[in-house]
Amino acid sequence: MSGYAIPIKNLIAEFSKFPGIGEKTAARLANHVLRSSGEEVRVFTESLLDVKRKIRFCSVCFNLAEGERCDVCADSRRDQSTICVVEDPDSLIAIEASGEYRGVYHVLHGVISPLDGIGPDRLKIAELLERVARQPVQEVILATNPDTSGESTALLISRLLRERNVKVSRIAFGVPMGGDLRYTDKMTLARSLEFRRTA
Amino acid sequence: MSSRIPCRTEAIVLKTLDYGESDLIVTFYTREYGKIRGIAKGARRSKKRFVNALEPFSCSAINFSRKNPDHLDFIEGCDVAFHFQEIRSDLEKTLIASYFLDLIDQFTPEHKKSEASFQLLYDFLVLLEKKKTSASLLHLFELRLLRIAGYDPVLDGCISCRQPLNAGRGYRFDSVRGGVICSGCKPSDADAIPVSLGTVKTLLMGKEMEIENLGRLLFTAQAAEESRRILSHFIRHILGHELKSLRVLNEINRLQR
Ligand SMILES: [Zn+2]
Ligand SMILES: [Zn+2]
Repeated sequence: MSGYAIPIKNLIAEFSKFPGIGEKTAARLANHVLRSSGEEVRVFTESLLDVKRKIRFCSVCFNLAEGERCDVCADSRRDQSTICVVEDPDSLIAIEASGEYRGVYHVLHGVISPLDGIGPDRLKIAELLERVARQPVQEVILATNPDTSGESTALLISRLLRERNVKVSRIAFGVPMGGDLRYTDKMTLARSLEFRRTA
Repeated sequence: MSSRIPCRTEAIVLKTLDYGESDLIVTFYTREYGKIRGIAKGARRSKKRFVNALEPFSCSAINFSRKNPDHLDFIEGCDVAFHFQEIRSDLEKTLIASYFLDLIDQFTPEHKKSEASFQLLYDFLVLLEKKKTSASLLHLFELRLLRIAGYDPVLDGCISCRQPLNAGRGYRFDSVRGGVICSGCKPSDADAIPVSLGTVKTLLMGKEMEIENLGRLLFTAQAAEESRRILSHFIRHILGHELKSLRVLNEINRLQR
Protein backbone atom coordinates (compact mmCIF):
# COMPACT_ATOMS: atom_id res chain seq x y z
CA MET A 1 0.00 0.00 0.00
CA SER A 2 3.02 2.29 0.26
CA GLY A 3 3.13 4.98 -2.40
CA TYR A 4 -0.56 5.82 -2.17
CA ALA A 5 -1.68 9.20 -0.92
CA ILE A 6 -3.36 9.09 2.49
CA PRO A 7 -7.00 9.59 1.27
CA ILE A 8 -6.58 6.64 -1.11
CA LYS A 9 -4.98 4.55 1.62
CA ASN A 10 -7.98 5.28 3.84
CA LEU A 11 -10.41 4.28 1.11
CA ILE A 12 -8.52 1.04 0.46
CA ALA A 13 -8.60 0.31 4.19
CA GLU A 14 -12.38 0.84 4.24
CA PHE A 15 -12.99 -1.42 1.25
CA SER A 16 -10.79 -4.09 2.85
CA LYS A 17 -13.29 -4.34 5.71
CA PHE A 18 -15.93 -5.75 3.35
CA PRO A 19 -16.38 -9.53 3.42
CA GLY A 20 -14.42 -11.30 0.72
CA ILE A 21 -12.40 -8.22 -0.22
CA GLY A 22 -8.62 -8.54 -0.03
CA GLU A 23 -6.19 -5.65 -0.28
CA LYS A 24 -5.65 -6.05 -4.03
CA THR A 25 -9.35 -5.97 -4.80
CA ALA A 26 -9.75 -3.03 -2.40
CA ALA A 27 -7.08 -1.11 -4.33
CA ARG A 28 -8.87 -1.86 -7.61
CA LEU A 29 -12.16 -0.57 -6.18
CA ALA A 30 -10.46 2.55 -4.83
CA ASN A 31 -8.96 3.22 -8.25
CA HIS A 32 -12.39 2.84 -9.78
CA VAL A 33 -13.76 5.47 -7.40
CA LEU A 34 -10.84 7.72 -8.32
CA ARG A 35 -11.72 7.51 -12.02
CA SER A 36 -15.47 7.99 -11.47
CA SER A 37 -17.14 11.38 -11.92
CA GLY A 38 -18.10 13.49 -8.92
CA GLU A 39 -21.77 12.81 -9.63
CA GLU A 40 -21.27 9.02 -9.73
CA VAL A 41 -19.48 9.13 -6.39
CA ARG A 42 -22.25 11.28 -4.91
CA VAL A 43 -24.94 8.79 -5.97
CA PHE A 44 -22.87 5.96 -4.52
CA THR A 45 -22.37 7.62 -1.13
CA GLU A 46 -26.06 8.59 -1.01
CA SER A 47 -27.10 4.98 -1.59
CA LEU A 48 -24.76 3.85 1.18
CA LEU A 49 -26.29 6.37 3.58
CA ASP A 50 -29.82 5.49 2.43
CA VAL A 51 -29.33 1.88 3.45
CA LYS A 52 -28.51 2.94 6.97
CA ARG A 53 -31.19 5.65 7.12
CA LYS A 54 -34.13 3.85 5.54
CA ILE A 55 -33.73 0.14 6.09
CA ARG A 56 -34.79 -1.37 9.36
CA PHE A 57 -36.14 -4.68 10.61
CA CYS A 58 -39.76 -5.62 9.99
CA SER A 59 -41.57 -5.46 13.32
CA VAL A 60 -43.25 -8.81 12.65
CA CYS A 61 -40.67 -11.07 11.00
CA PHE A 62 -37.33 -9.16 11.24
CA ASN A 63 -36.84 -9.19 7.50
CA LEU A 64 -35.27 -6.03 6.11
CA ALA A 65 -37.98 -3.44 5.58
CA GLU A 66 -38.40 0.11 4.44
CA GLY A 67 -41.31 0.81 6.75
CA GLU A 68 -42.84 -0.78 9.82
CA ARG A 69 -43.55 -4.01 7.93
CA CYS A 70 -41.66 -5.78 5.16
CA ASP A 71 -43.16 -6.40 1.71
CA VAL A 72 -44.05 -10.00 2.55
CA CYS A 73 -45.83 -9.22 5.83
CA ALA A 74 -47.65 -6.29 4.22
CA ASP A 75 -48.97 -8.48 1.39
CA SER A 76 -52.55 -9.54 2.30
CA ARG A 77 -52.43 -12.46 -0.16
CA ARG A 78 -49.74 -14.23 1.88
CA ASP A 79 -50.86 -16.96 4.27
CA GLN A 80 -50.14 -15.51 7.71
CA SER A 81 -50.70 -18.84 9.46
CA THR A 82 -47.62 -20.49 7.92
CA ILE A 83 -44.24 -19.21 9.09
CA CYS A 84 -41.00 -20.18 7.40
CA VAL A 85 -38.01 -19.71 9.73
CA VAL A 86 -34.77 -18.68 7.99
CA GLU A 87 -31.27 -17.78 9.15
CA ASP A 88 -30.91 -14.47 7.35
CA PRO A 89 -32.53 -12.16 4.76
CA ASP A 90 -30.42 -13.76 2.00
CA SER A 91 -32.05 -17.13 2.65
CA LEU A 92 -35.46 -15.46 2.54
CA ILE A 93 -34.65 -13.95 -0.84
CA ALA A 94 -33.47 -17.34 -2.10
CA ILE A 95 -36.77 -18.98 -1.07
CA GLU A 96 -38.81 -16.11 -2.55
CA ALA A 97 -36.95 -16.62 -5.83
CA SER A 98 -38.12 -20.24 -5.90
CA GLY A 99 -41.65 -18.83 -6.32
CA GLU A 100 -43.18 -21.79 -4.47
CA TYR A 101 -43.87 -20.34 -1.09
CA ARG A 102 -47.06 -18.47 -0.13
CA GLY A 103 -46.67 -18.12 3.64
CA VAL A 104 -44.72 -15.57 5.69
CA TYR A 105 -41.27 -15.68 7.29
CA HIS A 106 -39.34 -15.29 10.50
CA VAL A 107 -35.72 -14.20 10.19
CA LEU A 108 -33.48 -15.40 13.04
CA HIS A 109 -30.44 -13.31 12.13
CA GLY A 110 -28.01 -16.10 12.80
CA VAL A 111 -27.78 -19.70 13.97
CA ILE A 112 -26.59 -21.43 17.10
CA SER A 113 -22.82 -21.70 17.00
CA PRO A 114 -21.38 -22.88 20.32
CA LEU A 115 -17.74 -22.28 19.40
CA ASP A 116 -18.50 -18.68 18.44
CA GLY A 117 -20.50 -18.22 21.63
CA ILE A 118 -23.74 -17.72 19.70
CA GLY A 119 -26.66 -19.11 21.67
CA PRO A 120 -30.42 -18.61 21.40
CA ASP A 121 -30.24 -15.26 23.22
CA ARG A 122 -28.43 -13.77 20.23
CA LEU A 123 -31.13 -14.91 17.78
CA LYS A 124 -34.77 -13.91 17.29
CA ILE A 125 -36.02 -17.15 18.87
CA ALA A 126 -37.88 -15.62 21.83
CA GLU A 127 -39.63 -13.35 19.31
CA LEU A 128 -40.69 -16.38 17.28
CA LEU A 129 -42.18 -18.09 20.35
CA GLU A 130 -44.02 -14.90 21.21
CA ARG A 131 -45.38 -14.62 17.70
CA VAL A 132 -46.65 -18.20 17.74
CA ALA A 133 -48.31 -17.58 21.11
CA ARG A 134 -49.92 -14.35 19.96
CA GLN A 135 -51.35 -15.09 16.54
CA PRO A 136 -53.04 -18.18 15.09
CA VAL A 137 -50.21 -20.15 13.47
CA GLN A 138 -50.85 -23.55 11.92
CA GLU A 139 -47.40 -24.47 10.74
CA VAL A 140 -43.80 -23.46 11.34
CA ILE A 141 -41.38 -24.59 8.62
CA LEU A 142 -37.75 -24.71 9.74
CA ALA A 143 -35.61 -23.67 6.79
CA THR A 144 -32.23 -23.17 8.44
CA ASN A 145 -29.30 -24.48 6.41
CA PRO A 146 -28.70 -28.24 6.53
CA ASP A 147 -25.32 -27.87 8.24
CA THR A 148 -24.38 -28.46 11.90
CA SER A 149 -25.42 -25.01 13.13
CA GLY A 150 -28.62 -24.87 11.08
CA GLU A 151 -29.56 -28.36 12.22
CA SER A 152 -28.94 -27.54 15.92
CA THR A 153 -31.05 -24.42 15.60
CA ALA A 154 -33.88 -26.38 13.98
CA LEU A 155 -33.70 -29.06 16.69
CA LEU A 156 -33.91 -26.43 19.42
CA ILE A 157 -36.84 -24.54 17.88
CA SER A 158 -38.79 -27.72 17.22
CA ARG A 159 -38.27 -28.73 20.85
CA LEU A 160 -39.36 -25.32 22.13
CA LEU A 161 -42.50 -25.47 19.97
CA ARG A 162 -43.37 -29.04 20.94
CA GLU A 163 -45.82 -28.01 23.65
CA ARG A 164 -47.58 -25.51 21.40
CA ASN A 165 -50.52 -26.45 19.24
CA VAL A 166 -48.65 -25.99 15.96
CA LYS A 167 -47.28 -28.27 13.27
CA VAL A 168 -43.50 -28.02 13.01
CA SER A 169 -41.77 -29.20 9.85
CA ARG A 170 -38.24 -29.17 8.48
CA ILE A 171 -37.42 -28.52 4.84
CA ALA A 172 -36.50 -31.69 3.00
CA PHE A 173 -32.85 -32.18 2.27
CA GLY A 174 -32.76 -31.81 -1.44
CA VAL A 175 -29.99 -29.48 -0.33
CA PRO A 176 -26.81 -31.43 0.54
CA MET A 177 -25.48 -31.56 4.12
CA GLY A 178 -22.91 -28.86 4.64
CA GLY A 179 -24.64 -26.82 1.96
CA ASP A 180 -25.60 -23.19 1.82
CA LEU A 181 -28.96 -21.86 0.66
CA ARG A 182 -27.34 -18.97 -1.13
CA TYR A 183 -25.64 -21.34 -3.56
CA THR A 184 -28.55 -23.70 -4.15
CA ASP A 185 -30.47 -23.74 -7.43
CA LYS A 186 -34.13 -22.72 -7.48
CA MET A 187 -35.47 -26.14 -8.37
CA THR A 188 -33.76 -27.84 -5.42
CA LEU A 189 -35.12 -25.15 -3.12
CA ALA A 190 -38.64 -25.52 -4.48
CA ARG A 191 -38.49 -29.30 -4.01
CA SER A 192 -37.12 -28.89 -0.51
CA LEU A 193 -40.20 -26.92 0.45
CA GLU A 194 -42.58 -29.32 -1.29
CA PHE A 195 -41.15 -32.37 0.51
CA ARG A 196 -40.74 -30.90 3.97
CA ARG A 197 -41.20 -33.29 6.87
CA THR A 198 -42.33 -33.06 10.51
CA ALA A 199 -39.46 -32.22 12.86
CA MET B 1 8.46 -21.02 -6.19
CA SER B 2 9.18 -23.08 -3.13
CA SER B 3 7.75 -26.58 -3.18
CA ARG B 4 4.90 -27.80 -1.06
CA ILE B 5 5.17 -31.05 0.83
CA PRO B 6 2.18 -33.40 0.43
CA CYS B 7 0.83 -34.84 3.69
CA ARG B 8 -1.96 -37.25 4.62
CA THR B 9 -3.42 -37.89 8.06
CA GLU B 10 -6.58 -38.66 10.01
CA ALA B 11 -8.26 -35.44 11.07
CA ILE B 12 -11.26 -34.15 13.00
CA VAL B 13 -12.71 -30.74 12.13
CA LEU B 14 -12.62 -28.37 15.12
CA LYS B 15 -13.98 -25.25 13.46
CA THR B 16 -14.30 -23.40 10.18
CA LEU B 17 -14.18 -19.78 9.18
CA ASP B 18 -15.57 -18.29 5.96
CA TYR B 19 -12.81 -16.75 3.91
CA GLY B 20 -13.25 -14.62 0.84
CA GLU B 21 -16.04 -15.43 -1.61
CA SER B 22 -15.93 -19.18 -1.54
CA ASP B 23 -13.06 -20.45 0.62
CA LEU B 24 -12.98 -21.87 4.12
CA ILE B 25 -10.24 -21.77 6.71
CA VAL B 26 -10.50 -25.03 8.61
CA THR B 27 -8.93 -25.93 11.95
CA PHE B 28 -8.34 -29.67 12.27
CA TYR B 29 -7.04 -31.82 15.06
CA THR B 30 -4.92 -34.45 13.34
CA ARG B 31 -3.33 -37.67 14.46
CA GLU B 32 0.05 -37.00 12.89
CA TYR B 33 0.49 -33.23 13.04
CA GLY B 34 -1.55 -32.06 16.05
CA LYS B 35 -3.68 -28.98 15.50
CA ILE B 36 -3.36 -27.48 12.03
CA ARG B 37 -5.09 -24.73 10.09
CA GLY B 38 -5.58 -24.94 6.39
CA ILE B 39 -7.40 -23.27 3.56
CA ALA B 40 -9.93 -25.25 1.53
CA LYS B 41 -10.23 -23.43 -1.79
CA GLY B 42 -13.73 -23.16 -3.18
CA ALA B 43 -15.15 -25.28 -0.35
CA ARG B 44 -18.25 -23.14 0.12
CA ARG B 45 -19.21 -23.27 -3.50
CA SER B 46 -18.16 -26.59 -4.93
CA LYS B 47 -19.73 -29.30 -2.81
CA LYS B 48 -18.11 -32.13 -4.72
CA ARG B 49 -14.57 -32.09 -3.42
CA PHE B 50 -15.41 -31.63 0.24
CA VAL B 51 -18.93 -33.10 0.59
CA ASN B 52 -19.84 -33.13 4.28
CA ALA B 53 -16.18 -33.31 5.21
CA LEU B 54 -15.74 -29.83 6.61
CA GLU B 55 -18.49 -29.78 9.20
CA PRO B 56 -17.52 -29.65 12.89
CA PHE B 57 -16.48 -33.05 14.33
CA SER B 58 -16.48 -34.78 10.94
CA CYS B 59 -13.61 -37.24 10.92
CA SER B 60 -11.78 -37.90 7.67
CA ALA B 61 -8.52 -38.77 6.05
CA ILE B 62 -7.26 -35.47 4.68
CA ASN B 63 -4.67 -34.63 2.05
CA PHE B 64 -2.95 -31.32 2.49
CA SER B 65 0.22 -29.68 1.32
CA ARG B 66 2.52 -27.57 3.39
CA LYS B 67 5.07 -24.93 2.55
CA ASN B 68 6.09 -24.30 6.14
CA PRO B 69 4.18 -24.04 9.40
CA ASP B 70 4.07 -20.23 9.16
CA HIS B 71 1.84 -20.45 6.09
CA LEU B 72 -1.67 -21.84 6.00
CA ASP B 73 -1.69 -25.42 4.80
CA PHE B 74 -3.55 -26.18 1.59
CA ILE B 75 -6.38 -28.68 2.03
CA GLU B 76 -6.44 -30.74 -1.17
CA GLY B 77 -9.16 -33.24 -0.34
CA CYS B 78 -10.93 -35.29 2.32
CA ASP B 79 -12.33 -38.80 2.52
CA VAL B 80 -14.95 -38.81 5.24
CA ALA B 81 -14.55 -41.73 7.62
CA PHE B 82 -17.14 -40.83 10.27
CA HIS B 83 -19.82 -38.25 9.97
CA PHE B 84 -21.37 -38.89 13.42
CA GLN B 85 -24.96 -38.74 12.23
CA GLU B 86 -26.42 -39.65 15.64
CA ILE B 87 -24.65 -36.73 17.26
CA ARG B 88 -25.89 -34.36 14.56
CA SER B 89 -29.51 -35.38 14.93
CA ASP B 90 -29.50 -34.79 18.70
CA LEU B 91 -29.18 -31.27 20.06
CA GLU B 92 -27.68 -32.25 23.40
CA LYS B 93 -25.10 -34.51 21.77
CA THR B 94 -24.19 -31.78 19.31
CA LEU B 95 -23.66 -29.32 22.15
CA ILE B 96 -21.48 -31.76 24.11
CA ALA B 97 -19.44 -32.60 21.00
CA SER B 98 -18.98 -28.86 20.38
CA TYR B 99 -17.71 -28.50 23.94
CA PHE B 100 -15.19 -31.33 23.32
CA LEU B 101 -13.94 -29.51 20.22
CA ASP B 102 -13.71 -26.22 22.08
CA LEU B 103 -11.72 -27.82 24.94
CA ILE B 104 -9.31 -29.51 22.53
CA ASP B 105 -8.87 -26.23 20.68
CA GLN B 106 -8.21 -24.29 23.90
CA PHE B 107 -5.81 -26.80 25.44
CA THR B 108 -3.64 -27.62 22.43
CA PRO B 109 -1.10 -25.42 20.66
CA GLU B 110 -0.80 -25.52 16.86
CA HIS B 111 1.65 -27.93 15.23
CA LYS B 112 2.34 -29.97 18.35
CA LYS B 113 1.61 -33.62 17.77
CA SER B 114 -0.30 -35.42 20.52
CA GLU B 115 -1.69 -38.77 19.54
CA ALA B 116 -3.24 -39.07 23.01
CA SER B 117 -5.30 -35.91 22.42
CA PHE B 118 -6.44 -37.13 19.01
CA GLN B 119 -7.37 -40.56 20.35
CA LEU B 120 -9.24 -39.02 23.30
CA LEU B 121 -11.35 -36.82 21.03
CA TYR B 122 -11.98 -39.65 18.61
CA ASP B 123 -12.93 -42.17 21.33
CA PHE B 124 -15.30 -39.77 23.05
CA LEU B 125 -17.02 -38.80 19.81
CA VAL B 126 -17.58 -42.50 19.13
CA LEU B 127 -18.96 -42.98 22.67
CA LEU B 128 -21.23 -39.99 22.25
CA GLU B 129 -22.45 -41.35 18.91
CA LYS B 130 -23.29 -44.77 20.37
CA LYS B 131 -24.37 -44.18 23.96
CA LYS B 132 -27.12 -42.27 25.65
CA THR B 133 -25.90 -38.83 26.64
CA SER B 134 -24.89 -38.52 30.25
CA ALA B 135 -23.09 -36.01 32.41
CA SER B 136 -20.40 -38.60 33.10
CA LEU B 137 -19.17 -38.56 29.51
CA LEU B 138 -18.67 -34.82 29.57
CA HIS B 139 -16.80 -34.80 32.89
CA LEU B 140 -14.66 -37.80 32.05
CA PHE B 141 -13.57 -36.05 28.88
CA GLU B 142 -12.64 -32.93 30.86
CA LEU B 143 -10.72 -35.03 33.36
CA ARG B 144 -8.77 -36.98 30.77
CA LEU B 145 -7.94 -33.95 28.70
CA LEU B 146 -6.68 -32.14 31.81
CA ARG B 147 -4.32 -35.06 32.43
CA ILE B 148 -2.99 -35.07 28.85
CA ALA B 149 -2.52 -31.30 28.97
CA GLY B 150 -0.49 -31.56 32.18
CA TYR B 151 -3.14 -30.40 34.65
CA ASP B 152 -4.06 -33.79 36.11
CA PRO B 153 -6.04 -32.87 39.26
CA VAL B 154 -4.94 -34.56 42.49
CA LEU B 155 -7.90 -36.61 43.72
CA ASP B 156 -6.41 -39.53 45.70
CA GLY B 157 -5.61 -37.52 48.81
CA CYS B 158 -5.24 -34.02 50.23
CA ILE B 159 -3.02 -31.92 47.98
CA SER B 160 -1.60 -30.11 51.01
CA CYS B 161 -0.97 -32.60 53.83
CA ARG B 162 -0.85 -35.63 51.46
CA GLN B 163 -3.10 -37.68 53.76
CA PRO B 164 -5.07 -40.28 51.74
CA LEU B 165 -8.84 -39.82 51.34
CA ASN B 166 -10.54 -40.29 54.69
CA ALA B 167 -14.29 -40.58 55.34
CA GLY B 168 -13.85 -38.63 58.59
CA ARG B 169 -12.87 -35.45 56.76
CA GLY B 170 -14.60 -32.93 54.53
CA TYR B 171 -13.04 -31.95 51.21
CA ARG B 172 -12.99 -28.99 48.91
CA PHE B 173 -11.54 -28.57 45.43
CA ASP B 174 -8.73 -26.04 45.28
CA SER B 175 -8.37 -24.78 41.67
CA VAL B 176 -5.22 -22.78 42.42
CA ARG B 177 -3.32 -25.84 43.62
CA GLY B 178 -5.17 -28.24 41.34
CA GLY B 179 -6.62 -30.89 43.64
CA VAL B 180 -8.76 -31.74 46.63
CA ILE B 181 -7.84 -30.31 50.01
CA CYS B 182 -8.98 -31.64 53.39
CA SER B 183 -10.85 -29.73 56.06
CA GLY B 184 -7.69 -29.67 58.19
CA CYS B 185 -5.68 -27.66 55.64
CA LYS B 186 -6.07 -24.09 54.40
CA PRO B 187 -6.84 -23.80 50.64
CA SER B 188 -4.97 -21.33 48.40
CA ASP B 189 -8.17 -20.83 46.41
CA ALA B 190 -10.52 -18.40 48.18
CA ASP B 191 -13.39 -19.93 46.17
CA ALA B 192 -12.53 -23.57 46.87
CA ILE B 193 -15.67 -25.65 46.24
CA PRO B 194 -16.94 -28.27 48.71
CA VAL B 195 -17.01 -31.75 47.20
CA SER B 196 -18.27 -35.02 48.65
CA LEU B 197 -16.02 -38.04 49.04
CA GLY B 198 -18.37 -40.03 46.79
CA THR B 199 -17.85 -37.61 43.91
CA VAL B 200 -14.08 -37.64 44.34
CA LYS B 201 -14.08 -41.44 44.27
CA THR B 202 -16.30 -41.54 41.18
CA LEU B 203 -13.95 -39.18 39.35
CA LEU B 204 -10.91 -41.19 40.46
CA MET B 205 -12.47 -44.33 39.08
CA GLY B 206 -13.43 -42.67 35.82
CA LYS B 207 -9.93 -41.34 35.33
CA GLU B 208 -8.37 -44.79 35.29
CA MET B 209 -11.12 -46.85 33.69
CA GLU B 210 -10.66 -48.46 30.26
CA ILE B 211 -12.46 -46.52 27.55
CA GLU B 212 -14.70 -49.50 26.66
CA ASN B 213 -16.09 -49.57 30.21
CA LEU B 214 -16.76 -45.86 30.56
CA GLY B 215 -20.32 -46.16 29.34
CA ARG B 216 -21.09 -48.24 32.42
CA LEU B 217 -19.87 -45.69 34.97
CA LEU B 218 -22.93 -43.89 36.25
CA PHE B 219 -22.76 -40.60 38.11
CA THR B 220 -25.31 -39.89 40.82
CA ALA B 221 -27.14 -36.58 40.47
CA GLN B 222 -24.95 -35.22 43.26
CA ALA B 223 -21.72 -36.45 41.63
CA ALA B 224 -22.78 -34.93 38.31
CA GLU B 225 -23.57 -31.56 39.84
CA GLU B 226 -20.39 -31.43 41.97
CA SER B 227 -18.22 -32.56 39.07
CA ARG B 228 -19.74 -29.90 36.87
CA ARG B 229 -18.98 -27.22 39.43
CA ILE B 230 -15.41 -28.19 40.29
CA LEU B 231 -14.25 -29.06 36.79
CA SER B 232 -15.69 -25.98 35.08
CA HIS B 233 -14.23 -23.85 37.87
CA PHE B 234 -10.82 -25.52 37.49
CA ILE B 235 -10.85 -25.19 33.69
CA ARG B 236 -11.85 -21.54 33.90
CA HIS B 237 -9.02 -20.98 36.38
CA ILE B 238 -6.46 -22.57 34.00
CA LEU B 239 -7.65 -20.83 30.81
CA GLY B 240 -8.49 -17.53 32.47
CA HIS B 241 -11.92 -17.39 30.84
CA GLU B 242 -15.11 -19.36 30.45
CA LEU B 243 -15.50 -21.44 27.31
CA LYS B 244 -18.03 -20.01 24.86
CA SER B 245 -19.40 -23.44 24.01
CA LEU B 246 -20.05 -24.16 27.69
CA ARG B 247 -21.91 -20.89 28.07
CA VAL B 248 -24.13 -21.76 25.08
CA LEU B 249 -24.67 -25.28 26.43
CA ASN B 250 -25.78 -23.92 29.81
CA GLU B 251 -27.96 -21.28 28.16
CA ILE B 252 -29.80 -23.91 26.13
CA ASN B 253 -30.19 -26.23 29.13
CA ARG B 254 -31.78 -23.39 31.09
CA LEU B 255 -34.14 -22.62 28.21
CA GLN B 256 -35.45 -26.16 28.08
CA ARG B 257 -36.03 -26.52 31.78
ZN1 LIG C 1 -42.03 -9.01 7.78
ZN1 LIG D 1 -4.90 -31.82 54.25
